[in-house]
Amino acid sequence: MKILVCIKQVGDDGETNRFDVHALEEALDLKDQLQTQLSKSVVLDVVTVGPPGACKIIRRAFGMGADRGFHCVTEKPDFVSSFVTATRLAAVAQKEPYDLILTGIMSADMMAGQTGPMLAKILGLPCATSVIKTSAPSSDMTIEVERELDNGLRDCLTITMPAVLTIQAGINTPRYPKLSSMLAAGQKKIETFKELDLFPEPIQAREISIGTEYPKKTRSGRVLEGSLSDKAAEFLAFLKEKDLL
Amino acid sequence: MKQIFVIAEIFANQIRPVTWELVAAARVIEKNLPSQQSSPAIHVIVPADHPLPLAETIAQRTGMDVIGLQIPELKTEPFAKTIEEPQKGTKKHKEKGRKARWDCMWERGAPAPHGDSGSLARGSAYSGEIYISCIEQLAEELNPSHILIAHTPQGQDFAPGLAVGINAASVPAVNGIRTDEEGLIYSRPVFDNSRNLLVRPTQHRPVVLTVMPGIFKAAVGEEQKSGRVEIRDIPNQSAAYGDQRIRHRRTLKRSCENQALKEAKVIVAAGRGIKEKENLKEIFEFAQSFSSAAVGASRPLIDMKWIEYQHQVGITGATVSPRLYIACGISGSSQHLAGMKKAEFVVAINKNPEAPIFLHADLCIIEDVFEFIDVFLTKRGESNGFCDFK
Repeated sequence: MKILVCIKQVGDDGETNRFDVHALEEALDLKDQLQTQLSKSVVLDVVTVGPPGACKIIRRAFGMGADRGFHCVTEKPDFVSSFVTATRLAAVAQKEPYDLILTGIMSADMMAGQTGPMLAKILGLPCATSVIKTSAPSSDMTIEVERELDNGLRDCLTITMPAVLTIQAGINTPRYPKLSSMLAAGQKKIETFKELDLFPEPIQAREISIGTEYPKKTRSGRVLEGSLSDKAAEFLAFLKEKDLL
Repeated sequence: MKQIFVIAEIFANQIRPVTWELVAAARVIEKNLPSQQSSPAIHVIVPADHPLPLAETIAQRTGMDVIGLQIPELKTEPFAKTIEEPQKGTKKHKEKGRKARWDCMWERGAPAPHGDSGSLARGSAYSGEIYISCIEQLAEELNPSHILIAHTPQGQDFAPGLAVGINAASVPAVNGIRTDEEGLIYSRPVFDNSRNLLVRPTQHRPVVLTVMPGIFKAAVGEEQKSGRVEIRDIPNQSAAYGDQRIRHRRTLKRSCENQALKEAKVIVAAGRGIKEKENLKEIFEFAQSFSSAAVGASRPLIDMKWIEYQHQVGITGATVSPRLYIACGISGSSQHLAGMKKAEFVVAINKNPEAPIFLHADLCIIEDVFEFIDVFLTKRGESNGFCDFK
């Protein structure tokens, strides 16, 4: 059985997107269950699309227990359409017959939540988003998952594999990378793909970004000024005036 | 004539109110389309096992034409059963034997529940695969320029796949629609809600939009003239179903609700900015300095298992409306804001002046949460005439 986890580098520190860390932990957990309880051999790969420095998060994934790592190397543009990312991921995912593809429900920076379901559609696979619980796949190649809705609701689904799942935070507590694995990870080879080799014709973005702006205020937003003590006094006066104590 | 599709959000045979907001957003798009184009027709699409009554209600209230997609496969039956599961997580949780309780609301092919369940209607389930293939077929026939879907767990599940399927542009989480000389521009939140990204779809393709709930004012009443209703039958096993690789089994509802959060006059809520689990003690102390206060939390704290789910405020937790909401170290994600925006007053305490919570607060206190609480509690003690002899 083969599992692929799609991860993304985000933020100024270049860390792994926290939702993707949950996806990787869930994949590692499924691998453990399949190997120990059902004596199935499982290969767990990770893939990222990003600038050359993004190889750092693959090394970290090795430290957590990933077997192999793929990196589709791109320039770092300001805005990447989810469709473009999903198309790049699909090119790598198609190289091997994966039974399960996991990724985070969204990235913490762009917050679109589209890459997983778009990847599924490009690959022609079923997809469940916002997965908050999984059970080990059964021998008929189905997997039971629960997806989180709003208002404290969950849908329980049975999905025929191969399938794509996007993982919601709170599904698990991710392990820390082991120092020994991190050291060994330094020796591991990351397979890189150049964008041009995968796509001789550039992928046409379907949306473009024309800038950013600050969101609008929805309340007055009075900023308390002065020393810490001044602010506390003003807050106390506010509570008394409004009879909130 | 160009069409605008609005996909109604149906849950358990009910029209979810976000549907009216989608209609309002569709009207904004209609108004802002370049004038040389002929005016588009807005169609509301209703996928359900029994869409006629839902479609009629929508046609009456909005005056829009409605297409009901009658899909028997979406039917589930009400089912009353409680499932208990031990919570995954820390050892401490296991020792206490804390269990999450789930009420099973709907199950596929379930036997009728015993007892008085006459009020429970048969439910329409959701299936991403079926939604995508049915809407794809309709889009191919009617060639819409825009498809509006709610940015909810349901909409977010099928909108991206639909966009790929019909070669459309896709803009998620739309919180603003405007226009310039080149056409429509959509804004959507990025970077933990601290910025809006302005997005323009490239030309000559349809656009799939998921629209954030709570942004567009639902302007519906009984329209003078009801729209037309058309029901299309999509029988079981038809090709329009797609491959049916996803089977909906049942829908569960978490049975515990936090009455204290709903009733409290003041809610002191903690977010990731409190840094460590141990610091929650101080948040509880702060809450105790009010006569009627409860402690709330943003989702990451529940995800990290620092505090129980009953304290969670937000889309996936409780929706609260206290007189005062004090957000301590909460950045202000849309997930959280949706749960607390009905508070009468909001006070935000956060070290980071860029935290988006300050855009949604009446009072902004840019300080370290715990330094501020310490000074505040001392001042409060003094003002009460108590002396602290420590």
